Amino acid sequence: MDHKEESKLEAPDSQASFVTSVLEHDQLSRASKRPVPRKNLKAPQLAILWSLRIYLLFMIAVVLYQVWVGLR
Amino acid sequence: MTDALSGPAGTLETQGSIAPPITHEDLDRARDRERVRQARAARGLFSRGRLLWLLVGPGILVMLGENDGPSMVSYAATGARFGIGFFAPFIVLTFLMAVVVQEMTVRLGSATHRGHAEMIFARFGPFWGWFSMLDLLLGNFLTLIAEFIAVRAGLGFFGVPPWLAVLIALSILVLALITHRYWTWERITLAAALFNLVFIPVAFLAHPDWHSFGRALLSWQPFPKGGLTQDTLIIILSNIGATVTPWMLFFQQSATVDKGLTRQDIGYGRTDTILGAVLATSAALAMILCTTPLFHHQMSVENFQGAEFAQALRPIIGRFGAGLFALGIAEAGIVASITISISSAYAFGEVTQRPHSLNLPMGQGKWFYAVLLACAAAAAALVLIPGLHLVSVILIVNVIAVLAMPPALVFLYMLVNDREIMGDLVSSRWTNVLTAGVVILLVTAGILFGVSVIAPHVFARLSGG
Repeated sequence: MDHKEESKLEAPDSQASFVTSVLEHDQLSRASKRPVPRKNLKAPQLAILWSLRIYLLFMIAVVLYQVWVGLR
Repeated sequence: MTDALSGPAGTLETQGSIAPPITHEDLDRARDRERVRQARAARGLFSRGRLLWLLVGPGILVMLGENDGPSMVSYAATGARFGIGFFAPFIVLTFLMAVVVQEMTVRLGSATHRGHAEMIFARFGPFWGWFSMLDLLLGNFLTLIAEFIAVRAGLGFFGVPPWLAVLIALSILVLALITHRYWTWERITLAAALFNLVFIPVAFLAHPDWHSFGRALLSWQPFPKGGLTQDTLIIILSNIGATVTPWMLFFQQSATVDKGLTRQDIGYGRTDTILGAVLATSAALAMILCTTPLFHHQMSVENFQGAEFAQALRPIIGRFGAGLFALGIAEAGIVASITISISSAYAFGEVTQRPHSLNLPMGQGKWFYAVLLACAAAAAALVLIPGLHLVSVILIVNVIAVLAMPPALVFLYMLVNDREIMGDLVSSRWTNVLTAGVVILLVTAGILFGVSVIAPHVFARLSGG
């Protein structure tokens, strides 16, 4: 995404070469626009993620119940 | 650079004689990195010290930031309800857990130069990414409310009206930002965060029993009377939630990236994290020592929001000590409101791919700063609504943090063991064992809490009550 607000510096060559000599390639703000390849999740990994998601939703319901009881 | 993150764009800065499009953010970060390069090139003890000075920041900030309003209230309640005993070494253990967890974010940020939210979205897709974002934003917003309650309560001790207390906190947040320079922001916030150590002199004023304290640290005794009751369990959960929470993962990784740390700096990043943990543990233990006299006087501290502790301790630690205590509570809320709202803004920018850095001028980072200020302002405004029952927020905010931590930790675990992005920086077997141990401990504590709420009689039987 090329947002207008990320205006570029009218950089003289020396400034640009200073930046590129000091920072690693991935540290330049433009580097974050390069996509990182998606990881294929395996069945056991998906099972763990789903279990923890269900656990969290259930536990938040428990906390809300406790607050409701406390307020009553 | 690792396989998944290298690519054609890596050559963008070497094409011919055309100057690459660099931004203010790049230039500011390059200036910071140049100072690091010079310090690293020099020899001698002074240069080592200077290098450490240049590279510390995110670790100390995240640890002292997590000694926030609700956490300090939680430690105060621990001291007042249980005195010195089991919880002193338990708090040391929770900070060791925090070091294990936060060290992974330093490695991940230094290796990928990308924030936590960005990596979750990129590697696991938007479906899991949005779940993780919802956990973060909900937790952060509730915690921010609790921070402003702490600020209001702390400054209220000096007669400052709530609207002015909240305005002071917001002004400090804005003041730290207007330099739009990560380095300056970090140093200002570090200076403010170190005020958390004010609880150490206050603890001395409370004349603690050092012998009992030393014995408790070594023996984990005495255990709270009545065994593992629901009350004890809530305090255990609150104390865990006071040291390991999802916003810390997002904040430290993004701050590591914003600061510009690289693989070479990971050792210093670890030192930074350990140093932060030592400082934060000292402040947390000092808080327990501060309020232990209330335990000996068998004072009921339920619904205390911070300043009430200062009021109750006044006959023991004097007016000056009580004033320092109240200021410490307010400071804890102010520093955490800064770090937590920044973690939300980083995550928003990473997910929407908008510029997200404290090196951005206001005009270029308007979305980043708008989200940051909107989060803080909304929480602050909520605290000012009269008649709203906010004590519940303080009580549940750390519990919710503990419950939301296992899913966040599993994402972190998968990312730091992903050889495609981490290369040879993947976690060691011991780090993985410790991380798995932390996840199991958090889930077990959560399940026990659930049983204690839903089926208290079963819980009483389980815990031998």
